[in-house]
Amino acid sequence: MLAELGHFSLALAFLMAVALAIYPMWGVQRASQTMMALARPLATGMFLFTAIAYGALTWAFVSNDFTLSYVASNSNSALPVYYRVTAVWGGHEGSFLLWVFVLSCWTVAVARFSRAMPQPMVARVLAILGLIAASFYLYVLTASNPFERLLPFYPVDGRDLNPLLQDIGMIMHPPMLYMGYVGFSVVFALAIAALINGRLDAAWARWARPWTLAAWVFLTIGIMLGSWWAYYELGWGGWWFWDPVENASFMPWLAGTALLHSLAVTEKRKLFKSWTVLLAIAAFSLSLLGTFLVRSGVIVSVHAFASDPTRGLFILGILAVTIGGSLLLFALRAAGLRSLANYQPVSREVMLMGNNLFLSAATLVVLLGTLLPLVHKELGLGSISIGAPFFNQMFSYLIGPFVALLAIGPLSRWKNQSLLALRGQIITGLLIAAVGSLLINWQYSGIEAWALVGTLLALWIGVSTVQEIVSRHGDGQAGMQSLKRLTPSHWGMVLGHIGFAVTLMGIALTSHYSVEKDVRMAVGERTELAGYQFEFNGVTSLQGPNYRGQQALVDIYQDGEHIAHLRAEKRFYQVQRNMMTEAAIDGGFTRDLYVALGEQLSNGDWGLRLYVKPFVRWIWAGALLMALGGIMSMLDKRYRLAQAKTNAPVEQLQGQTV
Amino acid sequence: MKSRLILVLPLLIFFGISIFLFSGLFSDPTYKNQVQVSRDIPEFALADLMQPQVIYDQSVFSGEVTLLNVWGVWCVTCDVELPFLSQLREQGVRIVGLYLPESVDADFGTKPLAQLQREVTAKLQRLGNPYQFNILDADRQYSIDLGVTGAPETYLVDKKGVIRMHLIGDINPQNWQTQIAPLYQELLAE
Repeated sequence: MLAELGHFSLALAFLMAVALAIYPMWGVQRASQTMMALARPLATGMFLFTAIAYGALTWAFVSNDFTLSYVASNSNSALPVYYRVTAVWGGHEGSFLLWVFVLSCWTVAVARFSRAMPQPMVARVLAILGLIAASFYLYVLTASNPFERLLPFYPVDGRDLNPLLQDIGMIMHPPMLYMGYVGFSVVFALAIAALINGRLDAAWARWARPWTLAAWVFLTIGIMLGSWWAYYELGWGGWWFWDPVENASFMPWLAGTALLHSLAVTEKRKLFKSWTVLLAIAAFSLSLLGTFLVRSGVIVSVHAFASDPTRGLFILGILAVTIGGSLLLFALRAAGLRSLANYQPVSREVMLMGNNLFLSAATLVVLLGTLLPLVHKELGLGSISIGAPFFNQMFSYLIGPFVALLAIGPLSRWKNQSLLALRGQIITGLLIAAVGSLLINWQYSGIEAWALVGTLLALWIGVSTVQEIVSRHGDGQAGMQSLKRLTPSHWGMVLGHIGFAVTLMGIALTSHYSVEKDVRMAVGERTELAGYQFEFNGVTSLQGPNYRGQQALVDIYQDGEHIAHLRAEKRFYQVQRNMMTEAAIDGGFTRDLYVALGEQLSNGDWGLRLYVKPFVRWIWAGALLMALGGIMSMLDKRYRLAQAKTNAPVEQLQGQTV
Repeated sequence: MKSRLILVLPLLIFFGISIFLFSGLFSDPTYKNQVQVSRDIPEFALADLMQPQVIYDQSVFSGEVTLLNVWGVWCVTCDVELPFLSQLREQGVRIVGLYLPESVDADFGTKPLAQLQREVTAKLQRLGNPYQFNILDADRQYSIDLGVTGAPETYLVDKKGVIRMHLIGDINPQNWQTQIAPLYQELLAE
């Protein structure tokens, strides 16, 4: 019964979305205050009904309602309750319900936190969000309904959730990612509204920035969690695989990062307007494209099940209308967005433009690498696969000049900057970084050139960030004083750049100095890897709620001292008959010790896979710092001030006119 | 005018991409691997999965049209095609299994054979046994000779032991009817 209620609520939410798409937009055309004023309540209604639908599906999972086909194929009565809650987005239908739920959350957030915006703008933005939402509600209701019943014959128990998804990292990863993907819809809607309006000013950029930052922060955390999950759940010690699914989330992130920087220029200098709009369209379009790629079955391995092309066709239709329509609008209207300020070839504007070009180039590399196998196949040239080496090589080339701009950009001035004036800072920065890089790489046997370059670039970013603060605020006592006056958005930039440096450092060191060893070990045996002694102390059996398995006990010593006791697991999930590896990891500031359990061999020995991965944690720590930087920037007063200022006149106005 | 062109460029790029996305939706992910077709099945000498003392070689393919099906108990898609393959066996199609063991890491070793046999027997009892017999490709060397990219994959071998079709992915009623059966009937008549 509750499922039917959920289904019905979803249909109501769809109707609300349709109304939201039509009335406010029409109201702007007719300059009707009442019609425009409908936008906020409609957005709230859409959110409430979607929340009811989402709650109903969650309840179906929690109460083991296997009459729902979707629950039966993605849950099981032995599944712990918290995984049943997360199993809601374990399959296709549920992920789309989560998608529209997240979209309705963003829409209601815009309705709630948009007091600073003039009413026609709010009406247009909400209407565009309503239009996007309506198309996805239609998709969920007609082509991918999670509330479908299996009556009268329903299974006694469900097929269980994919064991890969039964993990704490997976609980948070998809919602975060979707918050990021879908969050770009807000800045997308703002961009479209600006194109329709034909005007784009600093105030527009001030509205757009916090929303872009929020989406970007969620996406950063989402990608980080995905990478972290792959690291300890897949049992291979890898943290990024350049898999189409990962690429699908990485492309909007790159475009979103470019957008953040371009918005800064648009806000401060009223420049790059059409470019900013294009990036806003691109960030959301790439999110949609990612959803399509992951969910339509176009790019999956050839061994996946052939999926129903009508679903893919439906999403492609949404893509064509949304992306095609917005790009058409862009082609027609962008010429009207004039940028008037001027600047010299060496200036902060140009550095930021360069940064944008590199980020866009990186996005294109990922897009090409992801789509080329498909294009190749469709042209009848046979199947090819583009793997990690291609992406790694391309990114290795891009990173050098990109970091140079990142290091010099913040040091330079708007409008005009003499490179000679920066000579001292650049040379000092590079020298300190070079010495530091040598010292760090010295620790490892067989210095790798790329690791050296990577650490040098990372350190250079660090040094130049400090130089930037010092040069703007002086050093010593006075500097410490004025440090407090640094705006939150400035701190945001500092943290973002330091975070990027930390991630870069982690990538450079862990990619080149990780060591691994596959060993067969008898109980009590010891083996050495990179100065650590791994002692294998037998295997005990495990019994979980919906799995059984084995657990290897491994003690690790360094210079005779016991430093870690690890339990590496191998789980067998009974319902899905799947074997899963749960690696055991001893995390550390400068290295991770990683043990994965293999098979038992015929003579009673066990196969074990051991890794020592230096600085691997820095990759995720850096991402967290970047996200923190984004949050800091969002908290900047100038975004809230705009709110407070416009609130006041409205109240006065009301007092006067009545 | 020139700047107008630049503004239209994103739309054109998207248009181009969507053509491929569209055709990708309808293209069959299984395709004939041209390289492997029309050549003799590579030589081999491999043991039977259930009776290791029995050694087969390429002569098992002569005189009969055979489907050589590459599979493993660890392969999820294989579970789906086993019942349909079993139906085909009942209709008289000769199917030989090439069993791909999951772990071939030299240091890890493979599963004990007895355990593997137990798992295979259990699976075939549950989902149906389409195979005349199963060849165990213990070190996966033969799969490399055959150009196997994963499981499931199927080779259609004619009476002279020549590979006539290489199908990647599962065999289902649809692609059997449209793609495989016509060639199979033709080869039977040869």
